[in-house]
Amino acid sequence: MARRFARRRGGIVDATFERGELELLEGLPEQLRTLYRADDDDPARARLFPRAYLDPTEEQAEAEWRELVHPGLLEARLDALSTLETTIAAAEPTKRDRLVVHLSAEEANAWLSVLNDARLALGSRLGVTDDTDLATVDPSDPDAPTLAAYGWLTYLEGELVDTLLGDMPD
Amino acid sequence: MSTAPPAPPAPLEVQEPEVEEVVVTDRPWLVIVWNDPVNLMSYVVFVFQKLFGYSRERATRLMLQVHHEGKAIVSDGNREKAEADVARLHAHGLWATMEHPS
Repeated sequence: MARRFARRRGGIVDATFERGELELLEGLPEQLRTLYRADDDDPARARLFPRAYLDPTEEQAEAEWRELVHPGLLEARLDALSTLETTIAAAEPTKRDRLVVHLSAEEANAWLSVLNDARLALGSRLGVTDDTDLATVDPSDPDAPTLAAYGWLTYLEGELVDTLLGDMPD
Repeated sequence: MSTAPPAPPAPLEVQEPEVEEVVVTDRPWLVIVWNDPVNLMSYVVFVFQKLFGYSRERATRLMLQVHHEGKAIVSDGNREKAEADVARLHAHGLWATMEHPS
């Protein structure tokens, strides 16, 4: 099978998918937009927007910091979702009935942001720990489909990180 | 650690410098990244390189410290720099906080 992510000239990354795989990715923005709008006490949302100060005596600094940076953090996340959607919409069919998505370096970073947020959200919902073994999921587990999606996104993100690390200095 | 020089204090209308207080104020804030079970080790290395310009070796060493010891100091500086670094780490999904050593 062709490499999932292939680096081209000019920092372009070509990502090749089966149709069903892209459909899974296309579903992420709506789920994440819903999560971003969730209450502060939602554990998955809290994981994506954590506190800066652990020290309870810094509550005022924490509140000021949140007011200052959270709108920008949210906007960057929403922009990344839009980038994922527009790049998938522009996917081109290959001769082997796959779809290839062309990503600039910036767009590839947006994809990485979406994949990572999706995994953080799913990991929080699933209660993933360091001991979670995705290889031994009981098929009758009601969480099995979500764990499978989490596992696939983990694989995909790992491939994308390895591709982007190639542009980083040793 | 990359230690950015502290920003000069804002001009004071009343010039009554108290040396001891200045020392306390200038002590750098520490930016801490905590271990979590979701972020990939390779991704954490990538983020440290991207945000802080660290070498692969330094970024990997910090990532391993987070992984094995539960946390690592990844940058430091005055309050404004630390707040900005924490925000950039949060933008990348890392669990980061800042603290002032007492």
